[in-house]
Amino acid sequence: MTDSQKPSRLRLVLIFSVVTCLSLAAGYWVSDRLFDRQTQLIGLQATRFTEPRGIQPFDLVDHTGKAFRNKDLEGRWSFVFFGYTHCPDVCPTTLSVLNSVARLLENAPEVPRFVFISVDPERDTPETLGRYVSYFNGDFIGATGTPDEINKLTQQLGVIYMRVTENEESENYLVDHTASVLLFDPDGRFHALFSPPLKAADIADDFSRISQAYR
Amino acid sequence: MKPLLVTITVVLGLLGAGRLPADALLVIREPWIREAPPTSDVLAGYMIIDNTGERSVEITAITSPDFAHTELHQTLVEDGIARMKPVGILAIPAGSSRILEPGGMHLMLFNPGRVLHAGDTVTLVIRRRDGEPVTVTAPVLRNIGSAASHQHHH
Repeated sequence: MTDSQKPSRLRLVLIFSVVTCLSLAAGYWVSDRLFDRQTQLIGLQATRFTEPRGIQPFDLVDHTGKAFRNKDLEGRWSFVFFGYTHCPDVCPTTLSVLNSVARLLENAPEVPRFVFISVDPERDTPETLGRYVSYFNGDFIGATGTPDEINKLTQQLGVIYMRVTENEESENYLVDHTASVLLFDPDGRFHALFSPPLKAADIADDFSRISQAYR
Repeated sequence: MKPLLVTITVVLGLLGAGRLPADALLVIREPWIREAPPTSDVLAGYMIIDNTGERSVEITAITSPDFAHTELHQTLVEDGIARMKPVGILAIPAGSSRILEPGGMHLMLFNPGRVLHAGDTVTLVIRRRDGEPVTVTAPVLRNIGSAASHQHHH
């Protein structure tokens, strides 16, 4: 080791120390600011996006026959599930869980809305949807639309559905579809995703924490 | 020592011989049918099937005189997408159980012969490759969730 190298090594150590101190200070400052939000959002079952995703325009029809568009996902939090009324297992199971969530959140500071969107408009008229969703909960909203308008929405959400053609002879065909429940924030943006197995208590708990951290 | 062993063997043998007629090898527990929303003519049935015997059992079908058609399906969630996979033969190894439950394996029941409401009952026939079919009566239950969020109730 030569004499000329000594100062440069010292300088490196100094720079390293300063950088470390600055990082620690910055980290402390950031974590201190975000502390409440972070602790609220630790251990969520839900997948929450760092940046909520805005939704391009779509034009569906609700179960009363009225237009159902972007603004109908605004003003409140919305749980959205895609399925179809001839679905024997997954959809009734999910809507039962969502009804439990609705009841758990009845008196929450923020009461969400629940929307069931049918990806099977061939069989699911608004009237059919109305009778279907109200079987589970009188406040649930049913919506559907033309295949084009449904696709406008599903494609940007990464929601997938496909008719299974194995049972071609019967009208009891099945539709494979995304099994997750989507959560939209009051600004109508795609905010979080709940994946199966869906547990009502977990969803309600996550929702309370996500909605509290949001405002 | 020897007489004791013989005694034990004989007792065990008697127990074994008298124990289980073929029909008792399959035990169906908690069968139930999910009441369908008013728009639907496809219902789902669930149950627990125990094979209490010493040989594997192959269930070939679960049928019902109360429906036009039935199919056994497994709900699979792959890459977030729910798919229905038909179950051809349901094999249950000796001493184990298969659970048909919401979001998992289930019996699909198409086109009921009459409108079924909670409180009604349905006949299910569990058919197997070897042995007599097992007939059970399953209640139709309303299962739409509750604040207590039980999977189902009796």
